[in-house]
Amino acid sequence: MENEKQILTVSELTKEIRKTLEETFEQVSVIGEISNFKSHISGHWYLSLKDADAVINCTMWKGFNQYVFFTPQDGMKIIVNGKLTVYPPRGSYQLDIRSMKPAGLGELQEAFEKLKQKLEAEGLFDEKFKKPIPVFPGKIGIVTAIDGAAFKDLISVAKRRFPLVEIIIAPARVQGSGAAESIVNSIRILNEYPGINVIIVARGGGSIEDLWAFNEEIVARAVFKSKVPIISGVGHEVDFTIADYVADLRAPTPSVAMEIAIPDINEIENFINEFLLKSTTNIETLLEERKEDVASFHKSYGFRLPMEKLNRNSQQVDSSIGRILQSIEKYSMIYDNKISLLSKSLESYDIQRVLKRGFVLVEQNSKFVTRASNFNKEKKAQLKFYDGEITTQ
Amino acid sequence: MSKKKTKSNFEQDLSRLEEISRILEEDSVELEEAISLFEEGVKLSKSCLKTLKEAELKITELKSELGKITQVDEE
Repeated sequence: MENEKQILTVSELTKEIRKTLEETFEQVSVIGEISNFKSHISGHWYLSLKDADAVINCTMWKGFNQYVFFTPQDGMKIIVNGKLTVYPPRGSYQLDIRSMKPAGLGELQEAFEKLKQKLEAEGLFDEKFKKPIPVFPGKIGIVTAIDGAAFKDLISVAKRRFPLVEIIIAPARVQGSGAAESIVNSIRILNEYPGINVIIVARGGGSIEDLWAFNEEIVARAVFKSKVPIISGVGHEVDFTIADYVADLRAPTPSVAMEIAIPDINEIENFINEFLLKSTTNIETLLEERKEDVASFHKSYGFRLPMEKLNRNSQQVDSSIGRILQSIEKYSMIYDNKISLLSKSLESYDIQRVLKRGFVLVEQNSKFVTRASNFNKEKKAQLKFYDGEITTQ
Repeated sequence: MSKKKTKSNFEQDLSRLEEISRILEEDSVELEEAISLFEEGVKLSKSCLKTLKEAELKITELKSELGKITQVDEE
C-alpha cells in the first residue's frame, strides 16, 4: 500500500516539482549573458541566460518587458529578477523574468559599439545618404515628448527666430520601455503628413539609460528610412547616440537643432534693410553717373558740332538772302528809272503830238490852265507851242 | 490655406530680392532696367518685412496612430 502510495502520475510529480521550485525560488536575482534572444510577435520575450557552465531558459511576458528601456542583445550581460517555474508540457523549468537591467554601464556601451559598427558597415552613416536641410522650411515636424523640456526649448527658439514656420508635433515617448517604438511611429506619421520639409528628433539631457531609445536599432533604421531630412538633437553636447550618426544632421542640443532648421528673422530683416540702403545708393550713383555722362556729352566737341554747323549754315543763308535782297533792290531801281524815263517820254510824246496839230498849252504858276475861268489876267502865263514857249507880259 | 501660400511666396520673394540685389551690384546693368528692378525690390522688401512682422508661430499636434489631427493653441 505504501509503495502504491508512492506512485505518482507524471502530472502529479510535475505539479509537486513546480510547487517546490516556485516556493523555493519565488524571488531570485540572476546574472548571466543573453543568448538566443527572441521577441515574439505576441510581444513576449524568449531568451536563455548562460555562463561558462550552465544555461537556463527564460521568458519575459509582455506585461513586464514593456518596462525594459533597452532591447536585449545576445552577448549582453544582464541582471534579472524573477521566479522559477515549470513548463509541464516539456518538463522543463524556466525563469519568469519580471525585471531586467544591464549588468553594468559597460554592457550598454558595448551594445552601442556593436550596433554602431554594424550600421556603419551597412552604410547607414554614409555622407552620400545625408539629405540637405532646406533653408526655408514651411513646416517642421517634431518628434519628442510634448510635455518635455526639449519641446519647450524648440518652440521658444522657433518663436524668437522664425515665427513664419509651422510646427507639426508628433508626440513620442522618449524614455523607458516602448520609447523606441513610439519614436519610430512618430517619424512614420510625420513622413505621411503632407508638406513637412524637415523633422527634428529631440530629447533633453539625461543618463545613458534615459537616452537609450535613441540607440535602438529600430530608431536608427526609421531615421535612415525617412524621406524627410532629419535633424537629431538629443541630450547635451557630449551625448552621441546612434540616431545622431544616422541623422542627416546632428545638433548638439534640441535648441541648436531648431536654430539649424530655421533662418533667423533678424538676419532676414537685416538683409532686406541692407538691400534697401545699398540699392538706393546704387541707383543714386548710377543716376549721378548718367547725369555726368549726359553733361560731358553736352560739352563735347562732337555734340557741339551740329550746332555750329547749324549756325554756320544759317549765316550762309542770311548772307545769301542779303545778297538776293540787294540784287532785287538794284534791279528794281534800274527798272524804276527806266520806267519813269519811259513814262516821261511817253507823256511828252503824247503832248508833242497834240501841240503839233496846233494846240497850245497855257501854264500859270507852273500849273496848266485848262479852263478859261481858271485864267488870271493879271499874271504872267507861259504859252507852250509845238515849236517853242512864249511868256506873256 | 492662404497662410501656406504666403509662406511659399515669402521664400520666392526673398530669393527674388537676393537676385535683384545681385544684379544691381553688377556694373553692366542698364539704367532703365536698374530703376525698374529697384522699384520691384522695394515693393518686395516691404511685403517681406510686413510678413515677418505679422508672423505668428502655428503649432499643430498630431495624435499618434489614428492620424487624427488636433490644433493646439500656443500658450
